[in-house]
Amino acid sequence: MSDKITAGHVHMSGCTGCEVAIADNYAGLLTLLDKYVDWVYDLTLADVRHIPEMDVALVEGSVCINDKISVEEIRQTREKSKIVVALGSCACYGNITRFCRGGQQNQPQHEAFLPIGDIIDVDVYLPGCGPSPQLIKNVCVAAYLLLKGSDDQKALAEAYLKPLMMLSKRGTEACFCDLMYDVIDQGLCIGCGACAAACPVRAITHEYGKPQGQRDLCIKCGACYNQCPRSWFSFDVVNQYESIMETIDAAMAP
Amino acid sequence: MVQDNFLGNYSSCVAARSTNRAILAGSQDGGIVTQLFAFALEEGIIDGAIVAGPGDEPWRPRPMVATSVAELYAARGTKYNISPNVSFIKEATRSYGLDRVGIVGTPCQMQAVRKGQLYPVGLRDVPDKIALAIGIFCMENFPYQSIVQLVEDHANTKLENVTKLDIGKGKFWVYTERGAVVQLPLKITHKYEQPGCHVCLDYVANLADISTGSVGTPDGWSTVFVRSKKGTDIWSKAMAAGCFETKPIEEVKPGIELVTKLATEKITKNRKTIEERSSFGVGKGLRNPYI
Amino acid sequence: MSKVIEISPTTRHEGHSKLVLKVDDQGIIERGDWLSITPVRGVEKLAVGKTAEQVPKIASRVCGICPIAHCLAGIEAMEASMGVYIPDDAYLLRVILQCANRIHSHALHNILSLPDMYIPGTDVKINPFTPEEPVRSVAKRIQRIREIAQTIGEISGGECIHPSNPRIGGMYKNLQPRAKAKIYDLAKEGLVLARDHMEFMIAVFRNFQKRDWAEVGGMQVPIPDDLGYHNQGYMAADPLYGSSSLDENPRWDPARWNETRPWDWYMGEMEITDDYPEYPIGGTTPKGAKAWPQMEACTGVPLYDGQPVEVGPRARLQVFKGYDEKGTMAQQIARSMEFPDAFYKIIECCDALNCSAPVLADEIPQGDGSLGWAANEAPRGCDVHLGRVKDGRVQEYSMLVPTTWNFPTCSRALTGAPWQLAEVIMRGYDPCVSCATHMIVVDEDRRLVAEKLIQ
Ligand SMILES: Cc1cc2nc3c(=O)[nH]c(=O)nc-3n(C[C@H](O)[C@H](O)[C@H](O)COP(=O)(O)OP(=O)(O)OC[C@H]3O[C@@H](n4cnc5c(N)ncnc54)[C@H](O)[C@@H]3O)c2cc1C
Ligand code: SF4
Ligand code: SF4
Ligand code: SF4
Ligand code: SF4
Repeated sequence: MSDKITAGHVHMSGCTGCEVAIADNYAGLLTLLDKYVDWVYDLTLADVRHIPEMDVALVEGSVCINDKISVEEIRQTREKSKIVVALGSCACYGNITRFCRGGQQNQPQHEAFLPIGDIIDVDVYLPGCGPSPQLIKNVCVAAYLLLKGSDDQKALAEAYLKPLMMLSKRGTEACFCDLMYDVIDQGLCIGCGACAAACPVRAITHEYGKPQGQRDLCIKCGACYNQCPRSWFSFDVVNQYESIMETIDAAMAP
Repeated sequence: MVQDNFLGNYSSCVAARSTNRAILAGSQDGGIVTQLFAFALEEGIIDGAIVAGPGDEPWRPRPMVATSVAELYAARGTKYNISPNVSFIKEATRSYGLDRVGIVGTPCQMQAVRKGQLYPVGLRDVPDKIALAIGIFCMENFPYQSIVQLVEDHANTKLENVTKLDIGKGKFWVYTERGAVVQLPLKITHKYEQPGCHVCLDYVANLADISTGSVGTPDGWSTVFVRSKKGTDIWSKAMAAGCFETKPIEEVKPGIELVTKLATEKITKNRKTIEERSSFGVGKGLRNPYI
Repeated sequence: MSKVIEISPTTRHEGHSKLVLKVDDQGIIERGDWLSITPVRGVEKLAVGKTAEQVPKIASRVCGICPIAHCLAGIEAMEASMGVYIPDDAYLLRVILQCANRIHSHALHNILSLPDMYIPGTDVKINPFTPEEPVRSVAKRIQRIREIAQTIGEISGGECIHPSNPRIGGMYKNLQPRAKAKIYDLAKEGLVLARDHMEFMIAVFRNFQKRDWAEVGGMQVPIPDDLGYHNQGYMAADPLYGSSSLDENPRWDPARWNETRPWDWYMGEMEITDDYPEYPIGGTTPKGAKAWPQMEACTGVPLYDGQPVEVGPRARLQVFKGYDEKGTMAQQIARSMEFPDAFYKIIECCDALNCSAPVLADEIPQGDGSLGWAANEAPRGCDVHLGRVKDGRVQEYSMLVPTTWNFPTCSRALTGAPWQLAEVIMRGYDPCVSCATHMIVVDEDRRLVAEKLIQ
């Protein structure tokens, strides 16, 4: 395999839970850094103060449009990175920051927060609150194979990333309502239970087999929507689940 | 490895039934699911399995994490209505403390499991803990109220008194405690089906480690597809341990041809439904989840 | 003539912050301001009007490094206001979760601190990500300790980053015996690793303490003996868990708490008059730029007995165990000393946990608007949440989070140090800046707080 890709973590208005999820690959994080990724920017883990050029930027958090530094940093991130990944639900969908309305000391004017896709073009969505370390690992390995792999590996990586790329084009909104709009109301729900399993705040129960969302609890993370097999499903990719997982496992072997 | 457009990929297909009479006594067909989980549990291949356990109302299943053979027994038999088994896939690894999870489910539930392993958006630390996913063939499923109406209105039987429900040989069968059997033509059941099933493109759980159903084999036997590496490994261990009596699928009636026929019919019909959905309205279509 | 230097943003901690430093001709800090420049998401304000049930979900997402503390303090402030008493076994699960989070967080912080330190007996700085030994074994051990802790958190809390199991009135789920046994085994394994790790970390910090100089951006900087000393007080509500206004003898007192705005406390507008492009990595802010801490700071300045106080591991050890060593390294050492106790506590709670007992209160009153507070000992220190709930809805919500307490204290602790070591001092506090975004409760309310509790 050829040389590493460069990647970094850009912290916007997020809670750093997404970053912790990166670190929660545990020994796998060391493997990723040893073999595939030069970690060139990350205020929390590294000593670099200003956003450099990089292949892949993982952006955590939404953008406070009332804060000059944030707006400047998200613009720079787009200009300096080949692939921008919205890491976590705040970056993808706003998540809990959708509820922000300002008025708090010492910057009461900080009231408007937008998912990064409302400010810049985003290439890949990696939702979840926090996102799962395994999805982060999969995307990192796929990004590496896409940029540095053989033709076969490129094709595999492209197929794997395609749904996540399509998500970034779908828009910056997702919450329990999207399950209703796109799945249940469309007559597609099959009562599998994936949505309830995915919900990080236990807002979904199944009543007579079908999901019931307690919308008061919903934080708008989009996990249910994206975990659902009837929101989007790619036979091309999932039929190959065994070989994809084997490829990633082999790549991550220390 | 056989690769089939309708039956998916599989390393072998056999007719089988459990050698354990106690399992067979309460299971739907050849007791494949319960036997495999019981074996895997005893061998430490799984720590527990998510099955459709008894619920609050008769024949209304509730997903349950079974960690003992007794619990597996309590969940035997097919409940023809929704059991959101996947909803326990994360909790099984949390407050239940499972490291190796078994799960049984319909083909669509297997799709949810595999999508969840590849794209674990809200399933942190779950993907590598799926130790055995058993799929059951599925033509369609029903909401609970449909079962109530089919059994109570059409079959004139109180649901509490029902001992077994089955779909086979073109009929919906209702067995009762007193031995009475009522058959309903499937013409009646169609209206009651879960609408989401009409866009389903999998009949024999192509994404399971091992999948099984009644179609293709005589009563009391099951058709079994052994699919993934994990599935192949576990199946051969279970065979070596004498868990199953098997016959080559070529030697039983009606055999794999019927499975292929039904799978082809289902998928072809549902492809057409998806097609029709795309021009459902006036200049507007309904969503197609497949990308 | 003193010069003004700015380090912005600071690195190797959570969130965005900066240091504005007035230094003398020798580069010694005369006055330093350390302040948050993280946008204020206004979490307390967005909770108002919502249901109390939502508060733990929202509060947790203030910070992903100590989400447990915010989640639990948020819940317990609501419970305190509503008068909800939780079952004993729910409490045990919360304590297990608390310990798990502390362990992971401290271990993560070790990774962030190590690059300032030296391999003992050498002049080689530690890069925690190098594949070379002996560092690689340490990194692996840290990650294994974190894995153990996060897994314990996940089992007891549903999730380890934003826990889903805690709820108003207790927990959603008790543990199955298998889960309890798993936690127990993990904690046993963790304890052994943690002891070794504690000893290693203490050796590294002591080694730094003994050194005469540190290398920063090509400059050899003398390390003063009193690096990070301050004469402020300490505040802690519990050695491990916390206290709330429901306690018979609450260990935190709202009457002693006061708050000033940054406008009163931080430095005014000034020009940056000196810069060091070679300061790692990216240099200090260029000369000629303007800084205005009192306007830029994103947090208020809470005082206890009229003074800024330190919160965190050393404060806990100081208040409850008589630990009296001062300075940045002592603070780091205190943090390392907390590892074993957290594991012991998990084991103890496992032993006490009854897996078949209920974990949700039978009765959950919906609140009459009384004030309740809960102080939770987060990894970084005392995290106090205050709230009022009426008819199930939040009327008022306030978070006094650890790093907010520490901003002014650490700013004082910068005085007398070479400016190049300001970030080293700051990192001693394990800053977690995103959460430090809380508001002031207006004076009138504060008086009400005091009255309520005196009654
Ligand atoms: C809705 C539905 C439709 C089916 N359609 C067909 C079909 O068209 N053709 C065919 O050949 N077979 C079909 N089956 C499968 C068949 O009925 C048997 O379930 C299968 O053969 C397994 O029998 P067994 O004796 O091996 O399993 P058993 O040992 O009886 O175990 C069955 C397992 O399935 C679980 N289960 C029961 N109901 C459900 C449910 N609703 N959802 C998820 N898990 C459940 C039980 O908890 C148990 O663990 C269908 C099953 C279901 C649930
Ligand atoms: S998505 Fe969740 S974990 Fe990530 S920054 Fe937002 S709140 Fe934190
Ligand atoms: S219901 Fe749950 S999973 Fe779905 S968007 Fe809301 S919080 Fe996320
Ligand atoms: S995940 Fe989708 S298909 Fe499954 S129950 Fe939820 S909404 Fe229905
Ligand atoms: S027909 Fe398809 S969608 Fe319906 S329950 Fe069966 S597998 Fe699921």
